[in-house]
Amino acid sequence: MTSVIDTIGELLSRLQSPDFYEREEAVRELGTFNEDEAVAGLVMAIEDSDLGIRELAADILSKMKGEIASRLLIRFLGHDDIGTRNLAAEILVKVGDDAVEPLIETLADEDADVRKFVADILGLIRDPRSVQPLCESLHDDNANVVCSAAEALGEIGAVQAVGPLQEAYTRVEDARLQSIEAIGKCGGSDSIEFLYSCLDTDDPMVLFAVLEALGKIGSLDSVERLLPYLDDADSSIAETALMSVIEISLNNGGKLEHTLPLDRFVDFLFDGIRRGNRDLTDFTLARMKHWHGPNVLESLVDVLDSVGEDERKQISDMLEKVGPTAISLMVDKLAEVTATTQLVILDIVKHHVDEEMAAKLAQYATAPDPDVRQRVAHTLGIAGWSGGIDCLKRLARDENGHVRSAAYAALGWLSTEQEIDFLFDGLNDEYVDVREAAVGALIMSGSGMAVDRFTQDLYHENLERQRLAVSALGLIGDAGVVEPLAKALNHPEATIRKLATGALGRIGQILDVQPLVQALSDEDNSVRKAAISALITVSGAEAVPQIRFLLDDDDLWVKYHAINSIGELKEAQFSEMILPFLEAEDDILKIAAAKALALMKADTAVANLKNLQQSENSDVVQAVEMALNEIGG
Amino acid sequence: MEITARDAGDVTVLELKGRLDMASGSSLKEQIKVHFEQEKNSIHLNLGEVEFINSSGLGALVSIMKEVRLRKGRLTLSNLASYVQEIFEITQLSHIFEIFKTEEEALNSYQTVQAG
Repeated sequence: MTSVIDTIGELLSRLQSPDFYEREEAVRELGTFNEDEAVAGLVMAIEDSDLGIRELAADILSKMKGEIASRLLIRFLGHDDIGTRNLAAEILVKVGDDAVEPLIETLADEDADVRKFVADILGLIRDPRSVQPLCESLHDDNANVVCSAAEALGEIGAVQAVGPLQEAYTRVEDARLQSIEAIGKCGGSDSIEFLYSCLDTDDPMVLFAVLEALGKIGSLDSVERLLPYLDDADSSIAETALMSVIEISLNNGGKLEHTLPLDRFVDFLFDGIRRGNRDLTDFTLARMKHWHGPNVLESLVDVLDSVGEDERKQISDMLEKVGPTAISLMVDKLAEVTATTQLVILDIVKHHVDEEMAAKLAQYATAPDPDVRQRVAHTLGIAGWSGGIDCLKRLARDENGHVRSAAYAALGWLSTEQEIDFLFDGLNDEYVDVREAAVGALIMSGSGMAVDRFTQDLYHENLERQRLAVSALGLIGDAGVVEPLAKALNHPEATIRKLATGALGRIGQILDVQPLVQALSDEDNSVRKAAISALITVSGAEAVPQIRFLLDDDDLWVKYHAINSIGELKEAQFSEMILPFLEAEDDILKIAAAKALALMKADTAVANLKNLQQSENSDVVQAVEMALNEIGG
Repeated sequence: MEITARDAGDVTVLELKGRLDMASGSSLKEQIKVHFEQEKNSIHLNLGEVEFINSSGLGALVSIMKEVRLRKGRLTLSNLASYVQEIFEITQLSHIFEIFKTEEEALNSYQTVQAG
């Protein structure tokens, strides 16, 4: 039986094979063993000539527990080959916790490059056990090691490192930048006074680092110290100071009691918004409540193209609140922005456009984007600018149906009788949306001419035109439509008679109900039902004697509708004519009767209702139970 | 048509009940004019009990809207019955008017604007 050691030995030999697949398989199999020899073999494999094998070994090693792999890998940190050194470092970072103690021991290595490398790795692992050893490394003879130790302490972010870092700043000139950056990351109130003392440095790089560090620490008290730098002649310093003020503000719930000279930073802030810098975007938009000079507004419009939907909505809301100044600016900007932004702008301005601005917008009626042309149509209509009528008429001939629809709607809001013929042309459009928009426009006009034309259309050869006409007359609803609608009750098409009946019912105030009464005897059951509803609406209870005969109609659903309609009057005086339907052959009529009697609260029906409680039809039983509950039987 | 007016903060709320046609549309315009004279330019119309509206009524609303805009005010509508909603959709008046489902939502929108 082959021992584990023999197997491992065999695998180690295969690591030297010229055959890639053999070496690869050997690496995989070594990964299944925990023995030190296997680990050593895997570590050796990171020197393999093949990248795939090196990465495979690295992956296996990074998942291994225990310190053995780390100790072996650390030896490679001084390797001649930079690739091998870096790979070993990568693996050690991934190993993480188990590598920390061996790495800490290696901070005392005689090779400064190794010590530096180790400090870098410990910084990436971020284990707090490294803090004290790294603080000691701040006293290293080699400045590069000190720099790496400082950076690593910053990565770990331990506040107890601040004192040693301050001391390193003072002692090691070459490590000042790293020390300050690390102090900023470590934070703590002890850092702040020290950082203030560093502000008078001659070194601009150190000054940048101090300004940034104050921002990272985030104390509101630091703002006072940062303010003078906002006026610095060097814009980089001023912008760095501003960034720190912003960071502090955002870290303190947006609080900032100081007035900032933001006008100087318009380009900086809005560039940040364009680049998608979250902090700059949030800060700038939050300031918009109180900050809207012309260049700011212009910049806000300029960034509409660059920001996401949420920010765009925020900016749109702000621009809208600013009012006429912003509106005018946005209209002027339309020529410079993309179609997407044009749409955003048009949506904002549409409720605020006056006639002067509407005249400017008219030029965009020829924009290449149909969505823009559609918005322009709506906006011209909303503006109420009669000068836009010609433009809208052109848009009503647009190749795009949505544009034509918007144009017709807008014409409806603006137009006079002079445009009636034009609007009627829209009823011939190929798209139903456009035809409906034209009808809507004609309804808005409500003019006598429109009524006359629709009256003629009641007898148009096209049935759809007939239907549009009767619906439109009903929606126009003025006194002038009553006569044509009443005449339409004799129309040869049942659909038209039904729609006309419904329209008359809706209009209500009709002096002569006789046409509706005649419609009760229409040959078409849908017309008779519409007539029941219309008469009840117009005359209320007075209509009941007229519709009563339909309780004996041949059509089941006419009877059903008559029962329901009488019931909805909620008058108990009519209960006697409904009561017999509790014994109707059709259960649907029993149900209608039960519901009607419940509405009437007809207590005289209680006994009859109780008789139905044993019905085989559960729907009947349910209706009866509800009625009895309602009546209180 | 009955028109009941009340104040909700800076907003004048008018509840309309009945038919909005030529006659009542004129009354509505007159009543709103009184509020304009009192510098009340934020008007909300609750149409929950408007049972009928015709083209004359729509014309009155459009005319009121134009007046509100000239005065840099704001006009909102709410509680449209399905029939009234239908006529607004056919005429695409929803593009002109700010329409809310409920009066509460409408009045809240005034708060949001003011808080800015």
